[in-house]
Amino acid sequence: MKKKIGKALVVGAGISGIRAALDLAEFGYGVTLVDRSPHIGGVLSQLDYQFPTDRCGMCKMLPMVDRDTSSQYCLRKGLFHENIEIRLSTELVSVEGEPGNFQVSLRQAPNLVDPARCIGCGECVKVCPVEVLDSFNAGLSGRKAIYLPVPHAIPNAYIIDTNACSRCGECEAICPTGAIKLLEEVRKDFRILVVDDELIMRDSLKAWLEDEGFAVDMAASGPEALNHLSKQAYELMLADIKMPGMDGVELLQKAKEVFPDLSVVMMTAYATVETAVEAMKIGALDYLLKPFDPDTLIPMIIRTYQDLEASKEPPMEVGALVLCGGTSYFDPAEGKNTYGYGLYPNVVTSLEFERILSGTGPNQGRLVRLSDGKPLRKVAWLQCVGSRDIKIDADYCSSICCMHAIKEALVAKERAGGALEAAIFYMDMRTFGKSFQRYRDRAETEHDVRFEKGRVHSILYDENSGDLMVRHVDYSGTYREEIFDMVVLSVGQRPALGTTALAEMVEMPLNQWGFGQTEPFSLTRIHKEGIVLGGSFSGLKDISESVIQASAAALSASRAIHAGGGSLTPEPTPEAPLFDISQEPPKVMIAVCTCGDLLSKLLDTQRLVRNLKVDPAVDQVDFLEQTCTVTGWENLIERVEKHTPNRILIGSCLPDVYAKKIRELGRRVGLNPVLIEVVDLMLMARVSNLKSETLSADEISKINSDVLAILGTGLARLKWADPDPVSYEKILQQALVVGGGIAGMSSALAIADHGFQVDLIEQEEMLGGNLNWLQRTLDGNTTKSILDETLLKVEKHPLIRVHTHSRVRASHGQVGRFYTTVEAKEKDAFTLKHGVTILAAGGVEAVTTSYNYGTSEAIVTQKELEKKIHANTIDPSRLESIVMIQCVDSRQEPRNYCSRICCTTALKHALNFKEINPEINVYILYRDMMTYGFTESYYTKARKAGVIFIRYDLAEKPRVTPMDGSVRVTAVEPIIRQKVQIDADLVVLATGIVPRLPKDLAESYGATVDRDGFFEAAESKWRPVDSLKEGIFACGLAHSPRNITESIATAEAAAQRALRILSHERMPAGKVVAEVRHSLCSLCERCIEACPYGARRVDLELEKVLVSPAMCQGCGSCATVCPNSASTLAGFLDQQMFDVIDSALEGTA
Amino acid sequence: MNPTEKIEIEKVSSTVPEPVIDSLATIRDMVSACIQCGTCTGSCPNAFAMDLTPRQLWYNVLMGEKETIFHSKTFSLCSVCYFCTLRCPRGLPLTETMSALKQIAAKENLAPYKKSIRFYKSFMESVRRHGRVREMEFMTLYFLSMKNPFIPLQFAPLGMKLMGKGKVSFEIPSKGSGPLESIFRKVEALEQK
Repeated sequence: MKKKIGKALVVGAGISGIRAALDLAEFGYGVTLVDRSPHIGGVLSQLDYQFPTDRCGMCKMLPMVDRDTSSQYCLRKGLFHENIEIRLSTELVSVEGEPGNFQVSLRQAPNLVDPARCIGCGECVKVCPVEVLDSFNAGLSGRKAIYLPVPHAIPNAYIIDTNACSRCGECEAICPTGAIKLLEEVRKDFRILVVDDELIMRDSLKAWLEDEGFAVDMAASGPEALNHLSKQAYELMLADIKMPGMDGVELLQKAKEVFPDLSVVMMTAYATVETAVEAMKIGALDYLLKPFDPDTLIPMIIRTYQDLEASKEPPMEVGALVLCGGTSYFDPAEGKNTYGYGLYPNVVTSLEFERILSGTGPNQGRLVRLSDGKPLRKVAWLQCVGSRDIKIDADYCSSICCMHAIKEALVAKERAGGALEAAIFYMDMRTFGKSFQRYRDRAETEHDVRFEKGRVHSILYDENSGDLMVRHVDYSGTYREEIFDMVVLSVGQRPALGTTALAEMVEMPLNQWGFGQTEPFSLTRIHKEGIVLGGSFSGLKDISESVIQASAAALSASRAIHAGGGSLTPEPTPEAPLFDISQEPPKVMIAVCTCGDLLSKLLDTQRLVRNLKVDPAVDQVDFLEQTCTVTGWENLIERVEKHTPNRILIGSCLPDVYAKKIRELGRRVGLNPVLIEVVDLMLMARVSNLKSETLSADEISKINSDVLAILGTGLARLKWADPDPVSYEKILQQALVVGGGIAGMSSALAIADHGFQVDLIEQEEMLGGNLNWLQRTLDGNTTKSILDETLLKVEKHPLIRVHTHSRVRASHGQVGRFYTTVEAKEKDAFTLKHGVTILAAGGVEAVTTSYNYGTSEAIVTQKELEKKIHANTIDPSRLESIVMIQCVDSRQEPRNYCSRICCTTALKHALNFKEINPEINVYILYRDMMTYGFTESYYTKARKAGVIFIRYDLAEKPRVTPMDGSVRVTAVEPIIRQKVQIDADLVVLATGIVPRLPKDLAESYGATVDRDGFFEAAESKWRPVDSLKEGIFACGLAHSPRNITESIATAEAAAQRALRILSHERMPAGKVVAEVRHSLCSLCERCIEACPYGARRVDLELEKVLVSPAMCQGCGSCATVCPNSASTLAGFLDQQMFDVIDSALEGTA
Repeated sequence: MNPTEKIEIEKVSSTVPEPVIDSLATIRDMVSACIQCGTCTGSCPNAFAMDLTPRQLWYNVLMGEKETIFHSKTFSLCSVCYFCTLRCPRGLPLTETMSALKQIAAKENLAPYKKSIRFYKSFMESVRRHGRVREMEFMTLYFLSMKNPFIPLQFAPLGMKLMGKGKVSFEIPSKGSGPLESIFRKVEALEQK
């Protein structure tokens, strides 16, 4: 039984909003997920391909435990989860209250098309006369005023762009199901009083407002208005300020005395704006500046109307808010250097190019130019457009564009079959994430993507050919010109639209560039508890980081709700006990949806009933109108309750959409959902055909046979359905965390704070890991504060058992039930039982022998420098020059990854030295400065402080020679093209991070490590902290190189992912799971190898292959490899499938 | 001691006077945020004639390579078109930096720039006298300042051509009425400070 223990509001249904909502829902909270756009998915609905796979894969975010609670199809198409209520075209209007108990009100834009009745036939689009630019295709193509917000949603209902709609009524007239209602009846109840002494003003206002469906009365003066008000109730008054006799302000005062609830909007000429502001102080809602046109007036009135309507609804009570507002993108046309964007047709932004690549894009994915249809053969990407640009106040790196550009180049190349030349013009290639550097190297060496270091200063357009000449100076100083078919501007990120207003509403601080500002050492928390930020809302994150942060945000929200004491507990849904029907013969009820009576004329119901009833299992055949609507559905339930069948077959459309309803139905009538089946009668296609054609007798007979065949297949499946109740596995509601650094401690605390026992294993003498020697972060926070605070909490927590000087010796088991043997110093080994495992084994600074390390005391690593500074064994005021060498042994095989923190560490030290001793010469020898995100501003700071940056290539690494009393460093300075020789007092080597996650430790839990020794995630983008095997998670440096704040975020994410499982006493298996017929099994173990989820194991004592039903995802790989048909998949048994095929063939024969 | 030293260039004996080093420090601050992206060099219409590209010049400024800077003709070739300033993503005052280098060269009367310093000075002298440039006078002043009798001969063919087209008027060099005299004095006074 599912008990909902609280409620959260997630604002923004992009990738992070979905992640946060799913995490909270899986934990058991009720979630309301809102988005102001009419679809879910955010910007990802427009992106078809993501690296490193260059495919999608969003569906991998769907729940894997108790997966039947949620949709199990393409997540881009739609999402449902039992605990998630999705409200689209909806905005947050106000937030009141405190953590654990907020009152929020939402405003939903009116929907002129009833999604329950719209069958997506598209007749309306054919008649709509209004054409506007399609924002889904980034404005590259057109659409009508009535349109599908995304082409792929299921169910896909049309919506009306109210700003563009001319309200001609054509669509309303042609809609076959009467789904469109242009003039909402309710607006007539909204009475507006217009008060103005000028007749022309009154008349036009009346005309405009009545066009929108409002009821309007007019008054020429204040007294007349008061007279109207006394006779009739009005919702809104529009009052002119300057009127002879009683002026608008006086009218406002008098009206408010009698009708305090009346909303008043003042109208004023510029001269009396101050009066208008005064009027607002005494109760006016807003003011309009004269002269105004309908475009200003109408949206404002509609907003007022919607706000007033929304305020009538009781506010929603939620325990926490997760703000996942996302970001917007820089518009190059706004910049100082536009590169001809908006002027030259073949200069596009990266988002526009994404649409050009897409099969649902303006070219259906063909790689041709939109302007003249010329095939794309040569494309240039220009990086840092709108990023790293101080001039337009963007002294930050947008973090995502480098990888985005490489991906686009590779997908374009693949699409063109290699016949496309791609060049990326960049300043620093920021491949700072896990696997990014190898992806870049492959693009360069295997796929011939050209990486041109240099910033393009301008583009010339050839009007005759439409080609573009890209001009830049390469690193050697040579001036170069090159012709391209298309130029893609890699546009940077900007704060999401409406961030400022939202920030004001929830009292969220913004950073200097307008992104949400979080607390130190947290990526999600702001000073106000219970309101957390997820995804790129707080700035500049790729999908993987957004997903990590969204899970971390879900955790912070969950903590707030938990701390709030569950005061908002919605009643658990009562569940009818499932009937045991295993002893009963099948008694099937068939319900056929006639889709709003359209099909009943066509169907030969008697013949259908006769044919279906040939099968003795069929007890009842009913024809119902629109089972997709509420009344239709209730009708169906009524019939079920009357006839008490033990299996139900529904013939309608869009079976996927019914998954949630089936569970509901099963619960209400006490039937296992396995015994309810929905088949697709393809009603939509049939109905839209009916409109345009008259069918011949043959065709009608064909439709009848089709319907019979489809119903027959469903019947065949149902008869074989296993009526045994769903099996459950018990969960040990305890966690084990391996590693007691900041990540391990943070995740242990997060789990323990939710009331679950945690064992924390640390191999060293004390907790704290790398924070024991790290002193300070780049942004000036001391690490001691966070370390002491966390240590105190961990040590005092009654639910955390700390085992220092201990290591994991062995482990076995699986999600819900692990047994780990721990050996400890001077103690007997002991065994821990736990339901989930978090690997936070950490990482250390890499050791090196490069650059003559070890031959001189003046050559140190970054860690040694940090320690020396802390121990005061180094005096910057007595040093003359320091050389820092970046990427030591990193970003080249065998350690071909960026350690992410070394560049910022170098800046931290350099700035510190310069602050103490401005005379000191600091030289940083780098390959690409990886100052991603807001750390870019420290790079600028260091430059300004006089730190000298010298770039080097792998081909010509610097040379370090210890001398008498100093160290001589020689490097080739590529800009002045000369060798530079520096006699340094100190050389600092950035050796990077290596993980400390032993392979056998990971493997004893069934997790794997990647070639660099870091934890291998199930999916780097969609399940970044999960192992492919459920129940094992990783965080901190064992997961990937990252800084303290980012490590804590992964820890919180891992904890949240673990809590989803721990919060349940038992795990139900899915509807479709694999089984083993042991009598046929020869123990060849092929199925164990084939199972991608580690759900199978062989029990040597029992001599049996066992399947964990909770881990099995029902993919069927095992059934296909089994040579004896011993491995089967419930719902897809051999005989069952043969019957299904027979029925299908019979009908068409 | 400046710890950097180029291996391939022989150390030039210091021809740059000491005060130059101080003024270089302020110039260095003007371009310190440079990330060497090369937008300036790509944009510069005169880069083809420069021995150091603007990007290289900035790098030398950052490194404090005064000998290299004041042996290069890069900044003296800047025609103040402001393209680099307009396009620099770091918003650096590059054109002003070029001018600042010119000013140092003029103030210290550095040998490599004598010709162009005299050219500037002669031009300004003519403007000072008449409020606008008088070509004949300007040329005469320039030739005189060069103290080389052969220089006028080099320009003779061009001079004849221009005269033939009436581009150069015959006016005797004179002190003029000096309507701009007070402005020039004021500027001189300001510069003294």
